[in-house]
Amino acid sequence: MTSSQAGATREPFEPPRVLGLPLTNRIDVLPEHAIGRIHEGTLRVLDRVGIEIHSDRLITTLERAGARADHEAARVRFPREVVEAALARVPSTLLLAARDPACDLMLDGSHAYLAVDGNAAEILDLETNERRASTKADLAQIARVADALPQIGFLWQPVAARDQLTDVQPLHEIATEFANSSKHIQLMTATKPEQARGAVEIARLVAGGERELHERPVLSAFQCSLSPLTYDGEPLEAAVVYGEAGVPCGFVAMTIACATAPATPAAALVVSNAEVLAGIVSLQLLVPGARTFYGACGTVMDLRTGAAACGGPEDLLFQMASAQLARRYGMPSSIGTFATGAKSADWQAGVENGLSGMASWLGGADMLCGAGLLYGASVHSIAELVLDAELFDLVCHLAGGVPVTDEDLALEVIEEVGPGGHFLAQPHTLRNMRRMWQPHVFGRDTWENWVAAGRPEPRDRARDRARQILAEHEPIPLDSGVEEGIGGVIAAYADNEAEGAHHG
Amino acid sequence: MDEKIAALREALYALDDAAAVSTTAELIDGGAEPQRVLQEGLAEAMLEIGRRWNAGDVFLPEVVAAAEIFKHCNDIVEPALIAAGGRTTGRKVVMATVKGDLHDLGKSMVGAMMKTAGFEVHDLGKDVPTDRVVEAVREMQPKIVALSSLLTTTVPEQRGVIEALEEAGLRRTVKVMVGGAPVTEEWASEIGADGFAPNAPEAVKVALALTADEPEGGA
Repeated sequence: MTSSQAGATREPFEPPRVLGLPLTNRIDVLPEHAIGRIHEGTLRVLDRVGIEIHSDRLITTLERAGARADHEAARVRFPREVVEAALARVPSTLLLAARDPACDLMLDGSHAYLAVDGNAAEILDLETNERRASTKADLAQIARVADALPQIGFLWQPVAARDQLTDVQPLHEIATEFANSSKHIQLMTATKPEQARGAVEIARLVAGGERELHERPVLSAFQCSLSPLTYDGEPLEAAVVYGEAGVPCGFVAMTIACATAPATPAAALVVSNAEVLAGIVSLQLLVPGARTFYGACGTVMDLRTGAAACGGPEDLLFQMASAQLARRYGMPSSIGTFATGAKSADWQAGVENGLSGMASWLGGADMLCGAGLLYGASVHSIAELVLDAELFDLVCHLAGGVPVTDEDLALEVIEEVGPGGHFLAQPHTLRNMRRMWQPHVFGRDTWENWVAAGRPEPRDRARDRARQILAEHEPIPLDSGVEEGIGGVIAAYADNEAEGAHHG
Repeated sequence: MDEKIAALREALYALDDAAAVSTTAELIDGGAEPQRVLQEGLAEAMLEIGRRWNAGDVFLPEVVAAAEIFKHCNDIVEPALIAAGGRTTGRKVVMATVKGDLHDLGKSMVGAMMKTAGFEVHDLGKDVPTDRVVEAVREMQPKIVALSSLLTTTVPEQRGVIEALEEAGLRRTVKVMVGGAPVTEEWASEIGADGFAPNAPEAVKVALALTADEPEGGA
């Protein structure tokens, strides 16, 4: 019975700070001829229809860089060779560095990482379980839970800090997140160049300087298109600010089939693809070689209410197809995942998000965005965050596959126990049992204990776990002086905005 | 000798069968009191493993492995104990999988967990005829007899054992616990059993409750 690994005196298992999902079993949901048609269709749309951009200054710059401009219609058209040349400049791998280097994420196609999703305007209060407007304090709490959960790789802004001044709200949001988590922060709410400049200043303070931020971007960002086929000017100008600072800035299309995109999945994919590529091509023309990524969070319209459905099977197809398109273009993908339309962490949320996690894994997405939202990404729930982390954990285990080393096959053990015995106390069992998946919030207790405990649902255990994390987890503090420095940056930008408003 | 008994406990924590067995043999051969080896070495180690299970630090297969090592060591201690006229650890439990049922994995888990609570477990095995259970109760005078069955077709045998104990005039001397996948609280009370548990850890709680008024170590 001797075994160095078995024994009842083992040190408790320390999980890694960030868990990566091994991308081991990719499935191309689009056959070669299908992805070819979507690609060619996209090039045709970019060339013939083009993109509307609400900034004449940018249109002029893009025109000089090779795009065809129609200033009157605010339209930019991208010839095939311009698109292809620009895409060729995109770096194929991306480092999302973190304040704690143990949380660095290298996006090179080998592993996927899960984010805390954003940017809900409301939160399901952890104690009252009632829906209410979100605050900066909520953001701090969620960031702390996300920092503690190894399944969370990086952070969007899960809820808006609605109790702060609108113009500097994004700066408050990243300041709060940097202070409460040492993981990578991806900023989604800084859509104006001024806000991007403030965010870059804050990120430089956290990284330790301008060059340090370039080498280790602790911040990334993305901008969204206005479907169909439109970009506001300011988000593109903000992308340029990020690009010049070495902060990766992706482009994300959030198309709604039947409403902001055509009804059929193929056509919706063409629109989504054209929008993302237009953003990326524009950034490459403005800042050649800029770090960027391909983002898509597509869904369909609910035919009765007209709202975004979120969570149906079309979403799963969009997830897999978009990840495949990004792979074809040789860049990392950020794919909307776990975006249930359910209003509580219930059966619908479990099914939709379980399948969604599978789809992003099989599709080979690099960034899964992300955990914690209900009701079509409009209400954050900390319990749902913990549950989504558990789902991600399950998929990670599944991705581990069935190893077949001698130790794994264990033919000697089968022979030794023989028919009718049991494997419970075999050294092989004791050595390997801790490789089995262990639930945190799934119920495996007896019926009697479950009844005695008041019939708790997984979401109840998830709330308990969140409370425990909040009571126990201490994030790594910012270096001394950094918090004050960040406060100074926010104050300066708040003054600028106030002055601007006064004079304007 | 205290060090050697501590080493025996450590061997159990490490689930090191060879070391535990050889340490036990050295202790007995060296003239150690069998009662102390059993009480302060083996039984105390099982209690500690039970505490670690309660704290979530060890898993059930480790408890079962420790119980198997316990048995190997006890095979060395017991003859010396009997020769010295000493008494065993305490509250006896007789366990059996009922007649016609070849499943004894669940019973092994219950037996292992029982040992972590200081019970002296006598496992009669599987497919045990009713009269053998009755005989064991008569001979060993256990505090508890625990009956397992996994099949809906063998569950009625549990009722048969209780009736046979009544006929033999032994029913009032022993508490009867029943368990197994098809067994429920309702079934247990229907057949007049004293306790039921849905799994091994719960079985320990029930057994402790059933023997709560019994002085520990008083077999």
